[in-house]
Amino acid sequence: MADAGLRRFRAPIAVFTAMTLILAATGAVLFVRKMGLRPGEVTAYYLGTAGPFGKPRTLRGLLEVAVPHLLAVPLVLFVALHLVAFAGELPPRTVRRLSRASFGFALIGLLSGFGIRWVWPALSVAKIAAFVGFEATLAALIVLLVSLLAHAPEATEAEGPARSRAPAAR
Amino acid sequence: MRFLLQPSPAALERARPPVRTFLAFAALLLVAEVIQRAVSGTLSPAGLAATLSPAEGERLGPVALWEEVHQGAFLYGFLLLTVGSLLVVCPLAAALRNALLAVATGAALVDLLAPFLPLALPGFSPWAGLRIAGFSVATAALLASVATAFVTFGRAPRRTDG
Repeated sequence: MADAGLRRFRAPIAVFTAMTLILAATGAVLFVRKMGLRPGEVTAYYLGTAGPFGKPRTLRGLLEVAVPHLLAVPLVLFVALHLVAFAGELPPRTVRRLSRASFGFALIGLLSGFGIRWVWPALSVAKIAAFVGFEATLAALIVLLVSLLAHAPEATEAEGPARSRAPAAR
Repeated sequence: MRFLLQPSPAALERARPPVRTFLAFAALLLVAEVIQRAVSGTLSPAGLAATLSPAEGERLGPVALWEEVHQGAFLYGFLLLTVGSLLVVCPLAAALRNALLAVATGAALVDLLAPFLPLALPGFSPWAGLRIAGFSVATAALLASVATAFVTFGRAPRRTDG
């Protein structure tokens, strides 16, 4: 962890990394269980199938999933990318690329569901590619965070607790 | 976020009002989560078993379980990161700060992962009680962390040199 200021935050960053790992893993399982990883399965999820339970997705139903994800996904990426960038061990160009890729995959993933339903069913290929790309960039961010935590030297008492830095008088 | 990396007295002073308002909302969120679980019946082992128990032959458990863990990991992840980071710049003993974060994190993991136990150990019935205990301890530890940060953030450290 090149930035000395971040060393003191190792514990909360480690917890955030662990929870992001759970988030990524459960997200992957939910995608595969609900839709599958074949274009035909993804198209069927949005357009419905023959039979009483195979109704097409409604706008309301899609928005119920999309709206919370429009807040949560950028927040997770924003925090993870900031931590990786602040640590200063990656060249800025790599951070920029990682940032564009992760936000790009997230946006395509979120919008392609609406596209499959109302514009062009073949967008299911884009949905799957965006999902795989998003999970891969999230996994890369998790690995980078773990690596930063693992290589961080122990905080010394002088840099560590807020005791020595808090206001001296009120 | 400069006050976290460069916690000067002036920066902490400026950050105090919004930080305390945020912490009040965090406490509200935790209380609302307790009420929500109580209303949905998932604060009792029977209620939990009715919603999250794996059905016969359901190797991965119900989808509702994965959705709950997905949402829970987001919630816990952000609360523990923000409150844990605020505690770092509070004038607290490192042991207290670490203990609060460790208890909250451990209990949160029990809350999130206990419902998967019957998938690994079929017939393991105490999972529901374990989950309720994990949630209760995690909520209590988070509320204690929020209260501690609310009271001590931006305060002068207690002098120990007499």
